[in-house]
Amino acid sequence: MIAFTTTVTDGIARVVFDLPGEKVNKFSATVMAELGQVLDDLHARTDLKAVIFTSGKPGIFIAGAEIKEIQSIANRVDAQAKAEAGQRTFQKIADLKIPSIAVIDGACLGGGLEFALACTYRIVADEDKTKLGLPEVTLGIIPGWGGTQRLPRLIGIQAGLEMILSGSPVNARKALKLGLVDACAARSFLDREVHAFVARILTTDGAAAVRAKRSHGGMMRWALEGNPAGRIALFRAARKGVMAKTRGLMPAPLAALEVVRDTCRMSIERGLEEEAHRFSELAFTPQCKHLVDCFFASEALRKEGGETKKPVQSTAVLGAGVMGGGIAWAFANKGLPVRLKDLNWDAITKGLHTANDYNRQLIKRRKMTPGQGNLLLHRISGSLDYRGFQGVDLVVEAVIEDLNIKRKVLAEAEHHLRDDAILVSNTSSLSIADMAVALKHPERFAGMHFFNPVNRMPLVEVVAGPQTSPETVAQVAELVRRIGKTAIVVKDCAGFLVNRILLPYLNEAARCLEDGAGIEQIDRTIYDFGMPMGPFTLSDEVGLDVGYKVAKILADSYGDRMAVADTLRVACEELHLLGTKGGKGFFLHGKDKNAKPEANLDLLAALRARHPVTRTVDADEIRDRCLLIMVNEAARCLEEKIVDKPGSLDLAMVMGTGFPPQRGGLLHYANQLGSRTVADRLKALSDRCGPRFTPCALIDDLARDNRPFPT
Amino acid sequence: MKERLAIIDGVRTPFSKAGGALAGFSADDLGAVVARELMARTAFPVASLDELIAGNVAQPIEAANVARVIALKAGLPDSLIASSVHRNCASGMEAITTAANRIFSDEADHILCVGTESMSNIPLIYGKQMTALFGRMMKAKSVWQRLGVWAGFRPSFLTPIIGIQVGLTDPVCGLNMGQTAEILSREFSVTRQDQDEFALLSHQRAAAAEQRLAEELVPLPLAPKYEGVMSKDDGPRANQDMAALGKLKPYFDKVAGTVTVGNACPITDGAAALLVMRESKAKTLGLKPLGFLRDYAYAALDGRRMGLGPVYASAKLFAKSGLALNDFDLIEVNEAFAAQVIACERAFASAEFAKANLKRDTALGVIDRAKLNVNGGAIALGHPVGATGARLVLTILKELRRRGANRGLATLCIGGGQGAALALEVA
Repeated sequence: MIAFTTTVTDGIARVVFDLPGEKVNKFSATVMAELGQVLDDLHARTDLKAVIFTSGKPGIFIAGAEIKEIQSIANRVDAQAKAEAGQRTFQKIADLKIPSIAVIDGACLGGGLEFALACTYRIVADEDKTKLGLPEVTLGIIPGWGGTQRLPRLIGIQAGLEMILSGSPVNARKALKLGLVDACAARSFLDREVHAFVARILTTDGAAAVRAKRSHGGMMRWALEGNPAGRIALFRAARKGVMAKTRGLMPAPLAALEVVRDTCRMSIERGLEEEAHRFSELAFTPQCKHLVDCFFASEALRKEGGETKKPVQSTAVLGAGVMGGGIAWAFANKGLPVRLKDLNWDAITKGLHTANDYNRQLIKRRKMTPGQGNLLLHRISGSLDYRGFQGVDLVVEAVIEDLNIKRKVLAEAEHHLRDDAILVSNTSSLSIADMAVALKHPERFAGMHFFNPVNRMPLVEVVAGPQTSPETVAQVAELVRRIGKTAIVVKDCAGFLVNRILLPYLNEAARCLEDGAGIEQIDRTIYDFGMPMGPFTLSDEVGLDVGYKVAKILADSYGDRMAVADTLRVACEELHLLGTKGGKGFFLHGKDKNAKPEANLDLLAALRARHPVTRTVDADEIRDRCLLIMVNEAARCLEEKIVDKPGSLDLAMVMGTGFPPQRGGLLHYANQLGSRTVADRLKALSDRCGPRFTPCALIDDLARDNRPFPT
Repeated sequence: MKERLAIIDGVRTPFSKAGGALAGFSADDLGAVVARELMARTAFPVASLDELIAGNVAQPIEAANVARVIALKAGLPDSLIASSVHRNCASGMEAITTAANRIFSDEADHILCVGTESMSNIPLIYGKQMTALFGRMMKAKSVWQRLGVWAGFRPSFLTPIIGIQVGLTDPVCGLNMGQTAEILSREFSVTRQDQDEFALLSHQRAAAAEQRLAEELVPLPLAPKYEGVMSKDDGPRANQDMAALGKLKPYFDKVAGTVTVGNACPITDGAAALLVMRESKAKTLGLKPLGFLRDYAYAALDGRRMGLGPVYASAKLFAKSGLALNDFDLIEVNEAFAAQVIACERAFASAEFAKANLKRDTALGVIDRAKLNVNGGAIALGHPVGATGARLVLTILKELRRRGANRGLATLCIGGGQGAALALEVA
């Protein structure tokens, strides 16, 4: 394999990285070895004045390390060797006697940026695809090829930490501002700029001028980084930020922070040793493996549903509630026109209010200009009737969760659509087949299940009913990808994948409450497990009325094992609690959104009157009950082949419910326990709490030889 | 005209008093809403449009060539050409007649016409002295030079020029539009009583027509907060009475005037859009047009008596088309001021006026008030200057259809001393 080609003109070597047979450049062990050889050759030559490193791939400089090799790291020794091998190779760049220049036109991430940092100078193309970043922490590791050393030394501790801890990349202009790169030019002028740049740095004055231009940060940087007291304050603040974001559940960002803190005053050699050492501690941990698995699972979903030749160009949404408004926003945000239909203009206005709210969140974070927000809202036009639907390619039904109403609305809409238009339902629990009976063309009907809030939830379930055509699935899945979300194709069943698994969990939390556990205790236990919020906080956010409705639909479909917990019935039917939107649910929600809400004692009293406390329920029991009931249902979904690839089940739980990614998802969690332990605990729970815990056939089968769940 | 211009359909926003519900929309926003809505309602393929022509008076500084901004905000193709036209208060009609010219000279087949105005968003501007000071600041290099420039500053420089006030003043004769109405009130002896009665009639008719006018509207969820929706014009007052009108003081001539804010049109925000093509083209495409433009005329006169524009323009239209006042089933004379409409009525009826000013021996004819502004007019509904011309066409065509009548005359007076008159038909 030849990944690097070197040409020399006028004493300037040009090394082009173009990995054969791949769309992107990445560093595998063999590529690294080849690079080492190339660098040795450069070292041996005496006729060179400078060396330029560039990429032969359009839109990509170097995407990073080969992640499959990270996944296969088996132990600490492996990990340490891998880090040191990369460090040694990149050190050869730094040790070149002649100046080296990385010319970056496209993504320059992870190991790619560490490579560029080892060069003397960096030049970027001012293009959208140019992104420079160190995303290692998102995979549960830290930069291990010098990133923790060279980045803070180049752009300062604060800016360097920001990039390393967030894992988010910066664009060309930001990179120039940070001093991460020395020049920036449009792609059309890049060659010219490189030529001039090389000429400049080959003169003593020119080189000094370029280095002098690198940001030194002024007084503020000195105050924070130039003295011990400032550094202590800086690292404390950074640690606080990481804890607030990860609750300490992710080891990688904390390790990265510590490496930078401990090595910032050391020589680079000792710093690199420490970096390799800390990298080796992380690279074979289950957290890292799980995050990498999630990465591959999401890569595997990139083509989910297949390709289509007829991408959707214009849309309509029926029902302008929070979901309808949110879906309209998601379409309009990617330039699609949306006709938003409801029964009256007040409802339509509410839908636009939701969209406007999502805009304002982005405008506040400067991710959107007011002008872009204005254009987005112009794409959403309201209507009480079906005028304007002739031009629509895809209609999303998002009316209330009631089979008869949905059937009526869908049949009516179908009547006004073009023959080649697609109709989808955003139902969260009703079966697609049940709705399709009202339609003349069930082949052009599918489920398109968004999660609330639409602007933040990355997953959309694309539900293929028994009659849905593959082309319809492909068109819907392609649209999901185009609006920046992940599509997962699931088979038709009540609740589909995510809600079907999640609802038993919410039900079980309520049953723990009935058995004597406290509202805050249950919420805290689950939160500490790593879920983004406890089950009761989630119920309140979703709206108790909405949850109750879904619970009843699932109870109808799956029978006793999903019987609605008494708590939900009391809360909804007797106390008429609505959750956050009504101010009262499992918690009392005051005006102050930052205050910690208190448990709703009225609800608790009503429950205790019906379910007197007979025993204590401890944290272990709560965790087992809430999680294993989900594992049991997830196993049933595997049995019924609700998803094609078992790996997508875990990813769906991570993206759809916020299941902690460092635990890899529900089935990964079950595998950590072992299928035999899962089966044993389920049986014990079944004896104690009821037959809903009886392990399903798949679990029984796996437990016999303690085989893992497929993931 | 060689052939009639088919007006396929039209839609407008509710009209809202300036500084009110629609203040969050710029003129291009309003225009974009109606342009998008009309394309949705007609289901006409946007790729077949040849041009968007927008009439607008105040020309927002943030939307130079407002027509192109409207086209793009409305989601129309990047390839669609767009131009803005300006004939002051007749800009909305100018969009239509310019489209007719383009179409009948075979330059275009299908044109989207828009009239739009956001009088809420006409800016206040710095005066000449302050502008000059800023200019000197830009040139100043050193701190001392800058201090020197600031030394020339006087607080009076900050007195703003009120864009809308200047815009409503004729720069040649120096009169505000209200002052021109006072001139007509004197020339035609239009009393305060006459004017207030006319204003009352406008409100009564507009209020009674609420349901009918709703047919030409698209409701507007209200930017920037989207907490309310506007689904009808907010000007008409069902409970307006003579006593309330009588209490108002003359606004433009406080000493001896008759024109009040009650018998003048309010400054207003709004927009209207119409899709036009040749009658034969509409027939080929199997479209059922809302109506047709049969002929039109613009005429000019002394700016101080600009309110009589409809009389001059109608005379020219009649001469050009061979039509007479009797041939029209409905008449819209835009109500800039009650005094001005009544003056028009009297001039229409006067043979003497016709002989002296219109080069005709006989009067144009007596306008029957039962045919005039039957759904109220600008005194009640408001007058978003760039939009009104298009609104009159839309309103009169819809009403002709409702009544099963055929021909309507839509005419308005134009600041600076012009008039416009359009002969419209539905059959």
